[in-house]
Amino acid sequence: MRAAIVSTIVAVVLALVVSLPALAQENATITITMTGLNEISISLDKTQWPLGTVASNTEYETSPAIEWCTLTVQGTCNVNTFIVGDDAEWVSDPGAYKWTLSNDGTNGEHIYGLWFRMSGDTARGYVPITKTQGEFWPYTGGSGSSLAPGDTRQFGLRLLTPTYFFSGRQMQTQIIISAVVA
Amino acid sequence: MAGHIKSAGLIAAFLVIFLPIPALAEDVNFSVSPAEVHIDNLPPGEATQFELTIHNKDDLAHNFSVAIYSPPAEQIREGRTELPDGSWISLSFPRIEIGPSSQANLMVTVAIPQEQKWAGEDWETWLGVTAESGDVLGLKLYVRLLMSSSGIRSNAGFIAGIIAAIVLLGYVGYHYSRHRNKPY
Repeated sequence: MRAAIVSTIVAVVLALVVSLPALAQENATITITMTGLNEISISLDKTQWPLGTVASNTEYETSPAIEWCTLTVQGTCNVNTFIVGDDAEWVSDPGAYKWTLSNDGTNGEHIYGLWFRMSGDTARGYVPITKTQGEFWPYTGGSGSSLAPGDTRQFGLRLLTPTYFFSGRQMQTQIIISAVVA
Repeated sequence: MAGHIKSAGLIAAFLVIFLPIPALAEDVNFSVSPAEVHIDNLPPGEATQFELTIHNKDDLAHNFSVAIYSPPAEQIREGRTELPDGSWISLSFPRIEIGPSSQANLMVTVAIPQEQKWAGEDWETWLGVTAESGDVLGLKLYVRLLMSSSGIRSNAGFIAGIIAAIVLLGYVGYHYSRHRNKPY
């Protein structure tokens, strides 16, 4: 009889030993950690590129070509940056006519190309801007590192107009430069 | 098709202008904090909240839009995977106008569905805050949201404990009954 009681107690203790940490974890407090007081911010010293009238199948570059705009890291954290483009739309009726942004920087009928070039980046040269977000700085395979607060990078843009398009229409597009904490 | 132009040298016909609308052209200077949020031990079936602050540092009011984004694979933190469903995140507002030199707090709610398969996972998703502008160049700031769910190991341990208890009790009961029925 005594053996049975002892065995029962051992069994219960064993069960509790196995399950109690589990139960404790089940009831663990949800923790939310905001990493320090960090703030993310970047700025551009130029955001407009008024080209005026353009010809078909022609390249246009910002001036100066690759030191046209300066990106500055503000905030308090190191960042990785990205770039993405979009179709150019007719300002008067955006749904009625557009230039499609090509996925490799080339052009075609109603298809245009966009490129960027980072100052000092001799490895990549001009890089196509597409509708899929791509690396701006740093980039895979490059020797550069994330940008720290106060760091700056200069870059320029290149536009390759469609081989032909409807004339007399004011077109507009937007290139988004984005950042995430590294 | 009257305005359809072939590429050969009709310079006068190339009347396309590639520039922002002057009324909308404006630089935007803003920040978002925190830049990274960790949520740990969130059990499936439960929800939690946190605040993001969008600070418009300009002298003009601006509109800001907020959305959930899948991070690029090469940017996801080690040991984590992409959040399976962006609908688990809800925002107190998807778009807001913030006055000059002012800030607004965005309440973000994170809820994991009550399914065992979502227990014990580590995910990453990004919240993107875009400053709306008519300029050729625009800015977007991402906040890294790193989430970990609790549960799977604990349930397995609990079940193992119960099974062990049943087996041991059964063993003890069997021997006890055999001992009682044994003829003297």
